[in-house]
Amino acid sequence: MNLLPLLLYGAAGAAYAIHFGRREPAAGRAATLLLLLAALVHTFVIGMQTMEVRHVPFANPSRMVSTFVWLLALSYLYVEVTTEERGMGVFITPIMIGLQLIPVFNPGVENMDPVLDSPWFWVHVSSLLFAYASFGLAGVLGLTYVLQFTEIKKKHLGYFYTRLPSLQVLDVMNWRAVTVGWAFLTLGVAVGFVWTMQARATAPESPNLQAMSLDDPKVFMALVTWAVYSFAIVARRTLGWSGRRAAWLSALGFAIVLLNFVPVSYFVTTSHTFQ
Amino acid sequence: MHLFLLGVSHRTAPVDVRERLDFSSRNVGDAVEALATRPSAAESVVLSTCNRSEIYVASGDPQRAKAEIVEFLADYHRLPADAFTPHLFSLDDAAVAQHLFRVAAGLESLIVGEPQILGQVKEAFQAASERRCTGPLLTKLFTWSFNVGKRVRSETSLGEGAVSVSFAAVALARKIFGRLAGRRVLVIGAGDISTLTAQHLRSHGAGQISITSRTPAHAETLAADVGGHAVPWDAMLTVLASADIVITATGSQRPILTRAGIESVTHRRTEPLFIIDLAVPRDVDAAVGDIEQVFLYNIDDLQGVVAENMSRRGAEIARAEAIVAEEVSRFAAWQRSRGAIPTVVALRQRFDAIRRAELQRLDGKLAGLGPEARARVDEVTKLLVEKLLLDPTEQLKALPDEETQIAYTEAVNRLFRLRDEDAPEARSPITPADRRRS
Repeated sequence: MNLLPLLLYGAAGAAYAIHFGRREPAAGRAATLLLLLAALVHTFVIGMQTMEVRHVPFANPSRMVSTFVWLLALSYLYVEVTTEERGMGVFITPIMIGLQLIPVFNPGVENMDPVLDSPWFWVHVSSLLFAYASFGLAGVLGLTYVLQFTEIKKKHLGYFYTRLPSLQVLDVMNWRAVTVGWAFLTLGVAVGFVWTMQARATAPESPNLQAMSLDDPKVFMALVTWAVYSFAIVARRTLGWSGRRAAWLSALGFAIVLLNFVPVSYFVTTSHTFQ
Repeated sequence: MHLFLLGVSHRTAPVDVRERLDFSSRNVGDAVEALATRPSAAESVVLSTCNRSEIYVASGDPQRAKAEIVEFLADYHRLPADAFTPHLFSLDDAAVAQHLFRVAAGLESLIVGEPQILGQVKEAFQAASERRCTGPLLTKLFTWSFNVGKRVRSETSLGEGAVSVSFAAVALARKIFGRLAGRRVLVIGAGDISTLTAQHLRSHGAGQISITSRTPAHAETLAADVGGHAVPWDAMLTVLASADIVITATGSQRPILTRAGIESVTHRRTEPLFIIDLAVPRDVDAAVGDIEQVFLYNIDDLQGVVAENMSRRGAEIARAEAIVAEEVSRFAAWQRSRGAIPTVVALRQRFDAIRRAELQRLDGKLAGLGPEARARVDEVTKLLVEKLLLDPTEQLKALPDEETQIAYTEAVNRLFRLRDEDAPEARSPITPADRRRS
């Protein structure tokens, strides 16, 4: 069921690439429509899964990745529509395509541990997924900022210069995405902490809850992510770290997010594997 | 009806001739109205820019139109005809379309791809059409040319990239700052290019423009020119601290802006600083470009950008020419289909006349029929004629070239005796004797 969104993300990605390479407005419009269609179909898929298991499907890592891709697509579409800039599509769709491969080839089984049956769980997961989607956008904006900054600084006004929005636009959007993401990350982590404390009282023997500490790589990485973005915000306010430094920080932050989101979730963590 | 063009351009006439034949300083609408009083130039458009004065007419007699336009030019500009006739160029039919499409696309411009020309073509057409000096052929030609101009702009990058130093600087500023509204500009030293650049920045919305010069009077003059305000030379670094764009163009032999000087006022600056050094020798120490937030461009860098843009435009010319060629051939096909119209009309009239004559002849025999049945007979015969003529009409309109079209229309004219004054139906209805003959 995740295959159709993947194919549509792929088609949108191809159209964005053609738009970027040849600068054809028609290809750009087609790309936006395809991505919109992909997001709609994906909404439908997630809706079906929700009805099937009777709760929002993110109790297994693959479905969580799928939901993340969906949120990333929606956030990107929001940015594209509000700024009327399509130049970043070619950078963001590969992330969607790459991540959507996971639920397609490893769908997993949605089997909810009773421990998770709490309203806190939904707040925790959905705010973190939304934070990660914002960081994904910020990371891509940061990367494109650096590419264009380098071209202007080195006076080679070439490929990216003619295709990307102005540095100012990229910087402002990056800042917004980082602050929104940071707010949701803070909320998600705080809810996770409070809820763990509560759950330990009701289910003291759960092995997952036992492992829920700073020693667990997933928890540790989440806090590293929080530290990186907090630093990005403070540094911008007090040290004047905007522009290229802020861009690098948001790219670094998203690299950590991706690392935590895929390899750590699947292979390393012991606390977040509720099956 | 033929298209005909007579005019001068920067390719055919020196600037003094173009100046004397210029219409744009006076009202073009009046000129086109004056021209339209001449019978062979009743349908006309006058396109006049600093690089060209061209008169487009749709005329049944191009030779006569040419003579009348020359006469008009001499009268209107009060010049002897031989002062400009050697510089005139003229074109006919498809060549007119090709020329106008190339003009609208910016391919005929002095700076290839410059954007103003399409607007000028539109204005020229509008002026003529407001004075009711345009007919169907010129209207089609000009509206077609607007589309060609738009297509070339959207499908190629012919008009992209600044091709002058001052525009290149503005384009860079926009790429760094996005919208320039509210951005502060500091101009150090007064010069031609710095004035021009400041004016371009102002027209793109730049906010406050401060000007400083070692000679305060120069700063005051320039400030008045670009709508800025003069600041004392000593306050330069203080003003620079809050500026976004700095333009320097002094005659100083030594750098006036050093890395240490700029760092002393831009410490903890979050916004970028764009410094444009137009002076030779340079006003800004090259090390300033190493400061993280500073983008430093000197005159050579900007000229490099311009040269790159020029060569990129050059590479787009072939694509633009291909679009023009495609549109010219489509326009020519449309014009040919128009050429077939008299024959098509004559053919239809001929068939309808035969139909009506036959119905009239049968009037007596049909007298017994009720009005409804008679109407049905009329309808059926009409439909029959329509169907018989459908394919020949479409074929005649879609012929691939003019020669074939002439041959076909000639054949149709002869086969159906379309030009024959005493065509059979004019004499009498087809009689049984006619039938036997056939």
